[in-house]
Amino acid sequence: MTDLLFLLEVSLAGLGSGALLSLTALAFVLIYKATRVINLAVGEILMLGSYLFFAFGAGMGLSVWLALPLAVAGGALTGAVVERGLIRPMLGESPISVFMVTVGLGSVLIGLVELIWGTDPRSLPPFIANTPVFLGEAYVSRKILVAFLVAGAVMAAFMLLFRYWRGGVALRATATDQAAAYSCGINVPGVFSAAWTVGCGIAAGAGVLLGAIGGISPSMGVFGLSALVVVIVGGLDSILGALIGGLALGLIQSWAGTYLGGEYQSVVTFGLLIVALMVRPYGLFGTHEIERL
Amino acid sequence: MFSLTRRRVTGLMAGVALVAGLGAAQAQEDDIVIGGSIPLTGVFAFAGVAIEAGMQDYITQVNEAGGIGGRNLRLAYEDTGYKVDQSVAVFNKLTSQDEIHLYYGDSTGFAKTIAPELNRMGGMIMGGASFASELNDPEEHPYMFMAGPDYSEMIAILMEYIAEETPGAKIVLVNSDTEFGRDPIESSRAKAAELGLEIVEEIITPPTAVDVSTEVLKLRRARPDYTIFHGYILAPLPEFMTQAQQLGLETKFMGTFWSMDSSIWDSVGEPADGFMGVMPYRYYYDEEADAPTMAKIREMRPDYQATGYMQGYLSAMLMAESARRVLDQGQELTGSNLKAAMNTIEDFDTGGLIGIPISIPGNSVPVGRVYQYSAAEKKMQPVSDWITVTE
Repeated sequence: MTDLLFLLEVSLAGLGSGALLSLTALAFVLIYKATRVINLAVGEILMLGSYLFFAFGAGMGLSVWLALPLAVAGGALTGAVVERGLIRPMLGESPISVFMVTVGLGSVLIGLVELIWGTDPRSLPPFIANTPVFLGEAYVSRKILVAFLVAGAVMAAFMLLFRYWRGGVALRATATDQAAAYSCGINVPGVFSAAWTVGCGIAAGAGVLLGAIGGISPSMGVFGLSALVVVIVGGLDSILGALIGGLALGLIQSWAGTYLGGEYQSVVTFGLLIVALMVRPYGLFGTHEIERL
Repeated sequence: MFSLTRRRVTGLMAGVALVAGLGAAQAQEDDIVIGGSIPLTGVFAFAGVAIEAGMQDYITQVNEAGGIGGRNLRLAYEDTGYKVDQSVAVFNKLTSQDEIHLYYGDSTGFAKTIAPELNRMGGMIMGGASFASELNDPEEHPYMFMAGPDYSEMIAILMEYIAEETPGAKIVLVNSDTEFGRDPIESSRAKAAELGLEIVEEIITPPTAVDVSTEVLKLRRARPDYTIFHGYILAPLPEFMTQAQQLGLETKFMGTFWSMDSSIWDSVGEPADGFMGVMPYRYYYDEEADAPTMAKIREMRPDYQATGYMQGYLSAMLMAESARRVLDQGQELTGSNLKAAMNTIEDFDTGGLIGIPISIPGNSVPVGRVYQYSAAEKKMQPVSDWITVTE
């Protein structure tokens, strides 16, 4: 019985951290879906978001409830500026060039953060209570529960928006065929901008949640790499894939860490990535593109 | 008649520049150069920046007092981003530019990579930011040293303290899944057995771990008296401690040197209260009467200096002392002479940077003290005497 309870607790913890992965993966998916660009700087935007929250909340002493939207807005603004200033002029260039721009952008952001806030690891002002939550008998960390609920709500909202909202449909249309979308009167550059803005805003928000749990440092962007595994397994252009992939990876990592040992987590994670790519190279829920020769 | 044409002025300026340049080169030729692969950016930058400041301050002091045998000390360093390939590139560049007999390396990876080259060259000794147990082997690494206890000795110091406070205590080891983190696991088991302590669980966390709920659940099952972290700087320790407190665990948390800077704990607040760990040096704010070095540091730097500063300061001090001893003997600055001189350091007074006189029998300075963080005071406070461990 105790072992079952332990398994349940471990699984809940895994789902919680998986939700954070899903949320970060959503940033990758939104940007890729609209623009076909894999933005490797998502991890660094996430880091920037947490530092903005730190600056508004701890530095300027604003209420955390004001600092949070400001941090998300800061991330979104960065996304908009990057799209307009760096990515759009690169339209039509080889995908590798655009990809490398995002790699460079990541390094620039790390450098900027180190210049402004220094290199010390820091803690965010507390905004989630510390009292533990018990679901029945099972213990759940409150921060992880909050992260799970926020990530769940955001993902659900986006799935609904894509299904029913005109803007969401425009994005799906752009993703399917840019030329056809243009000819239907869809403002394709506008869709690009919107995807980068919203995607980077989400990444910044995920950064605040992540920073609340693990503290912040200029190197916290490596979390983006785990989220990249999620999107590759789930499908680069699938929100459902990001959700399910994130939760599954969180669960598997948690089980592997508990029953095999922490040293097996990376082995299991990347082993899973290889198997998934061999079975479904376009991801579990990704679009299987058929090219005629 | 001498008139100033543009050509003459340019020629004159070039001449002045040449003479000045030669003069500078002349002045630098005599310098004793300490080379440095120092991480000023990247994950370890917080330490690298402090290390560089500490080394520079000690060097300034030595030079102001007339240098070593009339020769000035100079730090020639470049940023490595805490990447091994970059550290090696910096090493190659600096050693081709200057005659270097003393070197500061930034990581265990770099030290291990460069070790065969160091043995082959035989011209210098090397200290650095790594306290890897493996490097503390004078047979294998005759030209290496570390300005403090190695990681196994750090855990041994903590365990000596635990055995004194709570005989037969139950311990959980939490280590990051990195070379740094896994370093002292084997030796910790042996030391615990020797001291009659019981290791009830060993937890390994992946290097990118953020959420530690799963690990805290393991901790709850094990119910240890002490939990010893190694292989971390700050994250995920605060979350670990917060969740353990939420679950009402009574365990005392401990860490090793790189987790012990008090400024990183200031922002953590209340959950940090009571965190303990091993520290080989005094803190910036320790105001004991027998510590003129600390007073001097506070005079030079009015603001708090991190633990990396003390590490850099002592590294430069040990390098300078070894060079001084070699030159006093009228010997050449070679790796073996410098290392032999360093091993003659016995009951050496660091001016209170370390609270007791130190000796360097092998590659390390096996001394440390247990400090405990007080959230109210925002300071680390000593809870033990200085503990010396010997193999």
